[in-house]
Amino acid sequence: MHYQADVADVVYRYDGSMQGFLCCVFESFCRKELPAEICSPAEDRLTLYPDREILTDSQRAQRVLAGIERLGGSVKQRFTTAFLSTDPEKERILLRYLRTAFNTGRGVDQMLGDPDVAAAWQLERAVNGEAHHFIEFLRFEERGGMLGAVIHPKNMVLPLLRGHFCSRLPDESFLIYDASHGVAMMRRGDTVRYLEMTDYDPVSDPEELEWQSMWKRFFKALTIEQRRNERCQRTHCPRRFWQDMCEMTGGCLAVPERTVSTAKRSLPGNSSEGTDIRSSTLVTISQTPQ
Amino acid sequence: MDLAEKLEILADSAKYDVACTSSGVDRPGQHGKIGSCAAPGICHAFTPDGRCVSLLKVLYSNSCSYDCSYCVNRRSNDIRRATFIPRELAELTIGFYRRNYIEGLFLSSAVMGNPDLTMERMIEALRILREEYRFHGYIHAKAIPGADPLLVRRLGLLADRMSVNIELPSEVSLQRLAPDKKKAAVLAPMRQIADESRQSRREMQVYRGAKPFAPAGQSTQMIIGASPETDRHIIGLTEALYKKYSLKRVFYSAYLPVVEDSRLPALTTRPPLLREHRLYQADWLLRYYHFSASELLSEEEPNFNPYLDPKCCWALRNPACFPVEVNTASKEELLRVPGIGPKSAQRIIKARRMQHLGLAELKRIGVVLKRAQYFITCNGYLGAHGTRAEIANALLDPKAFGVGVQQLSLDDCMPKALPDAAPELHQLTAEGMDVLQAAALLRQEAVTCITRQM
Repeated sequence: MHYQADVADVVYRYDGSMQGFLCCVFESFCRKELPAEICSPAEDRLTLYPDREILTDSQRAQRVLAGIERLGGSVKQRFTTAFLSTDPEKERILLRYLRTAFNTGRGVDQMLGDPDVAAAWQLERAVNGEAHHFIEFLRFEERGGMLGAVIHPKNMVLPLLRGHFCSRLPDESFLIYDASHGVAMMRRGDTVRYLEMTDYDPVSDPEELEWQSMWKRFFKALTIEQRRNERCQRTHCPRRFWQDMCEMTGGCLAVPERTVSTAKRSLPGNSSEGTDIRSSTLVTISQTPQ
Repeated sequence: MDLAEKLEILADSAKYDVACTSSGVDRPGQHGKIGSCAAPGICHAFTPDGRCVSLLKVLYSNSCSYDCSYCVNRRSNDIRRATFIPRELAELTIGFYRRNYIEGLFLSSAVMGNPDLTMERMIEALRILREEYRFHGYIHAKAIPGADPLLVRRLGLLADRMSVNIELPSEVSLQRLAPDKKKAAVLAPMRQIADESRQSRREMQVYRGAKPFAPAGQSTQMIIGASPETDRHIIGLTEALYKKYSLKRVFYSAYLPVVEDSRLPALTTRPPLLREHRLYQADWLLRYYHFSASELLSEEEPNFNPYLDPKCCWALRNPACFPVEVNTASKEELLRVPGIGPKSAQRIIKARRMQHLGLAELKRIGVVLKRAQYFITCNGYLGAHGTRAEIANALLDPKAFGVGVQQLSLDDCMPKALPDAAPELHQLTAEGMDVLQAAALLRQEAVTCITRQM
C-alpha cells in the first residue's frame, strides 16, 4: 500500500510524550502531509511556519501503536528505543521511518540501505550504545543498605538499564539517578518506580570510601606502564563517562565534581542536607511492577 | 598486611595475564543469588594502557615454587609476596560486583608447593564464593598444569570458563625458558576440559539435573616475541588448538622484558604491540571469516606485513577472487572483501532481499567503502577504478604510522610515535628523525613496496 503525502508548511507541536507523537503520526496520515517539523515543548524552536497544536488522544495513539505492532516486533523495538533519543531531529526521522514502514510492511527493519530506515537505525544504535556504556561504566555507592548511582546520559537510557540491573541484583534495592534529565529509577522490593529527582549527595560514609579507594588501587595496579596507550583508553571509554566513574576522578578522597553540577538543578525548597537518598524530595512519575 | 595492600600485590602479579573477558555464557539472575552473565561479555573499565577490566583479575597467591625466566613471580625474583584467605577474596568479589566495578572473578595462582595443593586451595575459595556467598556471576579459573584430573573436574564445575596457558608457542622454547613446565602437562588438562565440557553439554540436553562444566569453554594464551617462532607457526598452532581442543579464544601477549636474562630479548626491547595486533586480526579471520591458516601466510612469507592487515594482504595476493557482486554473492564471498565484516555482511544479505544495493546503500549499512570499493561491483558496475598506488594507499593500516601526543606530564606535548606503531617508525625516530617526517617517509615506502607486489 502506498500512502501519499506532500511536504506541508506547518509545524506540529505536541506534548513530548510517546502518545503525543503517535497522534502526530496519525495527523500526518489523516491530512496526507509531511510537516516541516515536529516540536516538543522541551525544545523551544522558533520557526517561520505556522504552528498546529496536536492534542494527545490515547485512542488515536492506540490505533497507531497497534499498526506498528502489526509490522513486527523489531519495528516496534526500533521505534520505542529510538524515541528515547534526545536528538532534535528525532521526531522527523521517526515519522519518515514509520511512513516508510507502513508503505513497505514487514521486513522494513532490514532495509538498512534506505535513507529513512538507516536514519532511524542510527538513532536506535546511538541509544542502545549509550545504554550499554552505562551498563559498563555505572558505579554504585552503598549507603544504608541501598545502592545508588549517578549518570549523565545524553539520551533517556534509564528504561534500557532496568532489565539488566534488576536481573543482576535480584534482591537489592537500588536507585539510578539520571542527572541530565532529572529523573531517577528506583527499584525496591518487586517494583520499579521512575521518580523526578533534583539532587544527589555524594557518599561520605568512610566504609564506602574505603571500597572506592580499594578499587582505585586495584585499577592502578593493573596498568602496564610499558603499554601505555591513552588514546585507546579514550576510544573505549570516552571522557564524558569519566565524571561518574570513581577510578577516573582524582585522588582517593576527592569530592566528585557532580556535587556542583547537580546543585544547579536543585529547586528552591529542596534540602540538600541528609545523606540518605531515600529522604530526598521525590515525586513519583510512574510505578510499574518489575 | 591489610586487604588493600594484598589486593594491590596480587593484582600487580596477575596483570600480565591477558584473558580478561567475560563472554560465552548467558545466564539471567535468580532470586536468592547475586549476579548474571551476558554472552557477549561486559567490560567495566579501561586502564590507561587501553586494556579492559572485566573481571577481578588476581592471583590467589604469588609465592611461586617455579622459576620460569620470563615471569615476574618466579622464585628467584625479589618481590613482595601475598596470599589470599578464601573468605577475604569472596567478600572482595561480592563488594566489587555489587558496585558494578567488575563482571566476576578471574582466579589464577602461582604454584604453592605443588600443583595439587594450589588447585585445592583455589577450589575452596571458589566453593565458598559460589555456595556460601551465592555468587551467580562469571568466574574464570586457571587450571594449574600438572594437577590431578579430579581437581580439574571440581574446578570446572565451579567456573564458567577455564584456561590453561601454553605460555610459549613451541616445545623447544618452553624447555628453554620454562624448564619446570612440560608440553604434555599443559595439553593433558586442555584435552580433559574439552572432553568434559562437550560431555556436560550433551548431558544437559538430556537430563534435567546435569551440571554445566565450564559452560563458557576454555581459552589459552601465549607470549609473543620472547622466542623466535614465526607468525606462520603461531597462527598454525592457533588453528590446531581451535580445531583439536575446541578452544573459545587464544590470547597473545606481547613480551614485556621484566628481567635481564641471556636467553631472553634485551631489557630495552619494545613490546611487539603491532605484531600482537596483527596476530589478533588473523585470529579473528580464523574464527569469524572462514579463513584457514594456510591461506594467510606461506613458507615464502612467514610473517605478517606490518603495514597491511592480514585480510587486505590476502585480497592483494588473490586478485582472481574479485570483484564480488554484492547483490548476489554468498556470505563467505562477502566476508573476504576488505571493508566488509561479519555484521555488515549479515546486514547486506538481509537488506538485499528488500532492495538493490548500490554504493550509497552500502555506506549506510556500514561497509567501509574506502577499502571495499575496489573489490566489489554493484549491479555489475565496479565500485571504483583506482590506480595501484591509490588502492595501496587506501588499504594501508593507519595504525602502523600512528603519531600522537601522549601526555605523561604537563609540559610533554610533542608528538611521538604511538606505542603500537610500526617498529621501523620507532627506529627512525630513535635515530633522530622528526616523527611526522619519518611517518610520511615510511608510508611512501610502504606504498611503493605494495604497488610493486601487486
